[in-house]
Order: sequence, then structure tokens, then C-alpha cells
Amino acid sequence: MAFNFQYPFQCVQFVQRPQAKLLLASAGPRLYSYSAETGQRLASWPQDTGSSDQEPPEKKRKVSTAEAGPVEEPETAEKTEKSKVPPAWSNIPIVTSTSNGEYAIAVTGEDKCIRVFQLQDDGSFQQLSERIMPKRPSSIALTSDETTILCADKFGDVHSLPLIPSNEKPAVAPRPNREAKLSHPAATNLTVHTKGNLRALEQQLELAKKKKEAGEDKSGPSFEHHLLLGHVSLLTDMLFVSLPSDTHKRTYILTADRDEHIRVSRGPPQAHVIENYCLGHTAFISKICVPRDAPEYLISGGGDNYLMVWNWTEGRALHKVPLVEDSSAAEVVVRGIWATTLGDLRLILVALDGSSQLQCFTLEADGSLKPQTPLDLTGNVLAVTSIEKDNTLLISVDSVRTAGSTNEWRASPSAPSTLIAAFRVQQSSEGSLGWEPTLQSATGAINAAGTVEIPATTEDKKRGELNDLLYAMSKLRKTPRGGDDE
Amino acid sequence: MTPPPAKRQKRDEYRKQAAATNPDGSTTTTTTETSLPARVKLPKKKFYRQRAHANPFSDHQLQYPLSPAHMDWASHFPAYVNPDPSQTNLIGTRKLLKDVEIVDIGCGFGGLLVGLAPLLPETLMVGMEIRVSVLDYLSTRIQALRAQQQQLQLTQSSTTTAQAATDTTAAPAAESTAMEPEPSTETPTTTEATTTDPATTTTTTTDEPTEPTTLVPGGYQNITAIRSNTMKFFPNFFAKHQLSKIFICFPDPHFKARKHKARIVSETLNAEYAYALRPGGLLYTITDVEEYHHWVLRHFREGEDAAAVDGAAGTVKELFERLTDEELARDPCVRVMSEETEESKKVTRNKGNKYVAVFRRKEDPAWPA
Repeated sequence: MAFNFQYPFQCVQFVQRPQAKLLLASAGPRLYSYSAETGQRLASWPQDTGSSDQEPPEKKRKVSTAEAGPVEEPETAEKTEKSKVPPAWSNIPIVTSTSNGEYAIAVTGEDKCIRVFQLQDDGSFQQLSERIMPKRPSSIALTSDETTILCADKFGDVHSLPLIPSNEKPAVAPRPNREAKLSHPAATNLTVHTKGNLRALEQQLELAKKKKEAGEDKSGPSFEHHLLLGHVSLLTDMLFVSLPSDTHKRTYILTADRDEHIRVSRGPPQAHVIENYCLGHTAFISKICVPRDAPEYLISGGGDNYLMVWNWTEGRALHKVPLVEDSSAAEVVVRGIWATTLGDLRLILVALDGSSQLQCFTLEADGSLKPQTPLDLTGNVLAVTSIEKDNTLLISVDSVRTAGSTNEWRASPSAPSTLIAAFRVQQSSEGSLGWEPTLQSATGAINAAGTVEIPATTEDKKRGELNDLLYAMSKLRKTPRGGDDE
Repeated sequence: MTPPPAKRQKRDEYRKQAAATNPDGSTTTTTTETSLPARVKLPKKKFYRQRAHANPFSDHQLQYPLSPAHMDWASHFPAYVNPDPSQTNLIGTRKLLKDVEIVDIGCGFGGLLVGLAPLLPETLMVGMEIRVSVLDYLSTRIQALRAQQQQLQLTQSSTTTAQAATDTTAAPAAESTAMEPEPSTETPTTTEATTTDPATTTTTTTDEPTEPTTLVPGGYQNITAIRSNTMKFFPNFFAKHQLSKIFICFPDPHFKARKHKARIVSETLNAEYAYALRPGGLLYTITDVEEYHHWVLRHFREGEDAAAVDGAAGTVKELFERLTDEELARDPCVRVMSEETEESKKVTRNKGNKYVAVFRRKEDPAWPA
């Protein structure tokens, strides 16, 4: 009997509710909840899709207006899951939750949809809203009062939208600016002179007239949302940070893009005021991290073989931390940077794409990162979440690809696959860090239950697509080209 | 876009020649020193034509500094290099005596810079252009203008009496002369005061009746051009509140609605302009497309009535206020912008309209309570 591969967990998120400890995890097109204590699977979403006539999800592309949103109405609340329709997405790249564990937010891939779920103590969750964004979200953050979602997208914009959409009929946000609702072309015969262009203009006028008669008018998404800021670059990560100040709390939005910028803007409603930039990377930035217990520092990483530590309120680089010993080694892509406080240790954990090692640093008082013994896993590290009360890390591991590679699949699936591993930090008397496996019954239960299966017979092309879904960041690197566009 | 081979070949030859020519005169130094009078000629535009549009979202092959503190301005403004060699920036190049203050975004062939240079002779200005060929032209043009000025200076100092009388107006008249430009690679240009270039000194005694230029204040030492995509890399060049003026002249209109994110004016980009502009600084816009003009107004100020302006809190609009027509009439920069840029001349030729809007950067709002 041949075993099949299991989709690894792309996101894991520990959720502390007043009465329960839950683990949310997404694998392939599905979202699961587990008990963080026993590892028992409590719920999954969407409900089983029985149908076999799978249509490949298509990337939506709009042709008409630059900013016009999708045509679909957001379906609000509690629609029963359509059990027969296969999901319109193949992965769930973002999963997060409110700090009280009341709500979870997930972004589904191809349909660019932000979904808010209500969580229960028994681990069940119910979708409250789905809102399809005009462009694919790359990062989601909650404001400090946890009533507003900030969404950074691959078009370079950051939008804000309420966590819970109000029941009133969707007040279309006042955002007429980027939509030029043109009933006629902007060009006139004063600005167009060549014969060809004049002819094109005539055609456009004709078309505009027809459109007007047909009464076509496409507009943006019909739910409430506001454009806060934008880069002319793909946004890769975003943080919302609030700093205590003498008089008032100051809030900031930090955005990182593919063109090596980290922008520090004020929080809404003044997101248009740029406080400064943190410039110092030479390749794209993929992750930024502000430790909750040391919010004066920012740690950033991406396509460079180093991390940078910033005094971000002043835009000043403090430290450059090498990630690989041999700087001529293969190109580095930082997959994730996580800050956690275990005991009295402020830890910074760093995973690289296609690496089975989780690098550990302790954040010192001056902001420098002190390397600690790294944590070696059985497969590539995909995601990390921490249970700070128990000094424990939960690490999602790629059991499909061989350790150390983003494209080589393992010869055969193992059963059960190692999907998740848990470690507890140990501090020796000399001060060095050690890790010991923990929660083995829980992780064993999660691993045994598995996720969605990937047939071991999957063809190479499909395998490549799955690789690209999970390890997409390296695509952001700019490739030197011979000539230029003249 | 590949031009026909013949055209490309001609262009390459011309540029090669341009590269071989130095600003002191013709192609070989021997002829310069013996016979020909040094005459720096301005480049010909026809060898630098390029498609009018560039995709601002593509990567191109751009050179840009890591941060404003990493920018090598010294090679662009040799006359303003800090004489103290220990004053260097983060990549070890010399610092300037003053910061660049004026930027022309999408400067094209540089008409605005050349027009403004004598008007604000003590202010450093930079033009930014994404198209390679156009930028090549402008760099060559600026080098040629500087060299002309230096020659004139020398000519005048040696034959003070003769030259002073024949001075006519209009520096841009130099436009009509054309041919061998200086290489676009920066050659060290010495300042007027210390010029001792041997090639030039040998020829200064020869009078140049055909040279129509006159000495202009600043000698074009205060302008330069850089290839850049400002939509992406503006903050790499300019620090917070560094600039006093930003010009956006006849921007690519991007008529199609789905291309509107490619427009150089938008609420999200205006936040970046506000970051680089100091409070009180001005942002000038001019366009011949009426719809674009309204777009600009919409993205800086909500309509023209006060009520709408009050509603602008919470958007980038609260950072800008529009200048009145009287203020515009008093500003000589507005005249240069609407008359001396290449595009404005073209619009005038085609009897098009010009729409001007200038905005003043206000102070940042107080942090919310």
C-alpha cells in the first residue's frame, strides 16, 4: 500500500482563550483547529468537499478599472458552507487571531479573500464574513484596539477595514480618487496629434458612448474600506506597533517592500504622514518583526544574508547580523522572524526558505542579537508559534520536500509524516540554551491525524506549482538583465 | 522598440563620437592645441529619441543609493564639493557644501533645469528621468553647457572688453548650436575660479564670434540629471524635509483607467513627496490634459471649496494647500515651467491648454490625542 504525502502546515497560530488552548493551522486549502494540550483535531474548514470535478482556481484579473474591486458581493455571516463546490483557493497563506482568541482571520490564496471567523472554546469556528480584496493580500495586522484589520497587498497598498463589518448596508467608502469614473476619454484632440492616436481617440469616444448607454459602471469593493498608504512596489510585510509615550500612545504602521524599503508611517488616521525610512538592505525584504517586549527595536530580513536591527523610530540601523557563516553560500531567503519571550529570555527565531534549521538569537539590551544553538528539525521549517507560558515552541515542518531543499521531494512519504514538532527551552547554568522535545503526545496526535493528502504520484509540473505556493519569496529577487528597455 | 538598423547605427556612431570628444574641443588634442578654436557644441536631440513611456513598475537596471547618506553628489556638482576632504558621506565620497533642494521629476530633455539654473544660481537642482537615452542627452547637454560657460569665463577674463559688449540675452539660445557633446561619463570639471586646463588656455586667445551664449549666473554648475524611477526610489535620494521645490511637468497622462496607479501624482505618492518636502516647500504641477489637472487637484485638495477641504483631515490632503493665482503670478518658476520646458513649447505649438497647480507643504499635523 502506497502512502500519500500530507500537505504541511503553512501557518500555525497558538490561540489562548480564557478556557482553552487552541492551535490553528492551515494546510493546503484547509484550516484546522486542534487542542494545544492533547493534539486532538477539533474542527476543520471548509467542510468536506465531496465533489471530484475540481476546477483549477483561477487568478482573478480585472480589465476594466485600476482599482475596481471584484464584482462579487461579500457574503455576510453564516451562510452554510456549500458542500459541493470545491474551494476557490489552494492555500491559506495567512492565519492570525485576536489576542483574546475571540476571532480568527484567515486569507485564502487565489480568491484574495479576507475571512473572519468566530472561535469557540471547543475549537469550532464559524465564518462571520468574507471580503474579497482588490489585490492579493500579503500581510494582515490588527490595530491595537483589535477592531480594525489592516491589509497590505501585493499592489503596494494598505487598506483598513473593520474587523466586524457593520450591519448597515455597505456604505461605500469615500474613495473616488483612484477611480476616475470617466464617462469619456481623458485625452482630447488638444492632447492627441498623430493620425493613429486620433483614430484611437475616436474609437474610445464611440466606446464610451456605448458604455454610457448600457449603463455599465464598475466600482470597487462594496464593503467599507479605506486606502491608508501605498508603495509603488510589492508589499511583503506590515506591522502595526503602538509605543507608549509620555502623554499618549503613539501608533505606527511599518511596511516593508520588495524594493528594499521599510517605511515608518503614523497609524491611522494619520497614515499619510511618513515619519522615516529604514534603508540598508540590498535585496528584497520579506519579514519585519518588532518584539512585543522590546518595541523600540525592529528586526528585518529578506534576500540578504544578514538581518538588520533598527532603531526604527529614528530610521537608524543598529546592527547587522550574519545569517550564514559562508557568505558566498547559496542565496538566502528569510522565511520568518519570530520574537518570543520564554522565561526571562527574549528570543528571536529565524527560519530560512529551504532550511531545516531554526536559528536562535537572544536579543540583548543594546539591541544586538547573540547567536544561540540552532534547533535542527527533520524537515524545512515553515512556521513557528510559541506558547510562552510553557516556554514551548511549536514548529511546522515540511515533510514533503527533503530537508534543505525547496524543490526536491522526498522519495516516499513517511507515515505518519512529521507535520509539527514541539520543543521546550532549557537554560543551562552557563547561560547557553538547549531544547528538549515536549508535548510529544499532542504532536503525535496531530501528525497521526494528517491533513489533506497529496498523492505520491503527483506529476512534476504539479509538484512545481506546490513548491512555488509554499516557497514563493525567492521569486522576489531581482534578476540582472543584459540590456535595458530602450 | 528597435529602431531601423541604419538609424541605430547612425545614433551609435554619433554617441561614440560624443564619447570620444572631450569638452575642450574636437576629437584629438593635437588639432585642438594647434589650429581649431575650442567650441563646445550641444548634443543633438535627434540622436537621443526614445519612446515617450516607460513602465514604472518594471525593475529596469537602475542605480540608486542605499540611502540619502550613501548618495555620491560630488560627481554631479563638482563646483560645490566641500573643500575639506575629510568630509565624506557613508560610501566615502566627498560631501557638498549644500544639499540638493530642487527636484524635477520626469525632467525629460531638461528644459526646466536649464531655464531655472540662472534664476536660482545658488540652489542645487536635480532632474530625474527614467528613460536612458533622454537622460544621456541631458547629461551631455549639461556638461556641454558647463564647458561653454567655463570657456566664456576664460575668454572674458582675457578679452574682457570685447566680449562684454556683445552679450545678448537668453542662454537657451545655445540650443541652436549642436554637434559634439561631452561624454556623459562625468569628467572632473574644475570650478570657474581655478580653471587651468591646458587645452583651454591655449585656445582662449582665439575669439569666438560664432558662440552665441553669454555668461549666466551659476554657470550651470548647479544642475544635474540622474536616471531614476522616482515612484520607487525617491526616498533613497532625499532625506526627510530636504527639498524646497518639486516640479512635475507634463507627466505621462496614463489615459487608461487601469493604468492610473502608474500616474506620478496620487494620494499615496503624495505622502512621499510630503516626506521629502520641507514645510513651506512647493510642489509645482503643469499638464496639458484637463482631466489630469482635475486629478491632481483631487489628489492634493478635495475640490476647491472650503467645506470639502475641511473634510480632508485624515488624508494626505491635509498636508498641502494650493497657491492662489496671485502667488503664481509672482513666482518666476511658474513662468519657466510653462514656457521653457520642451513639452510646454510643444503644447504651445499645437495650441493646447496648460493647466498649472502649485501646492504648499504644510506642517505635519499634531499627533492625535
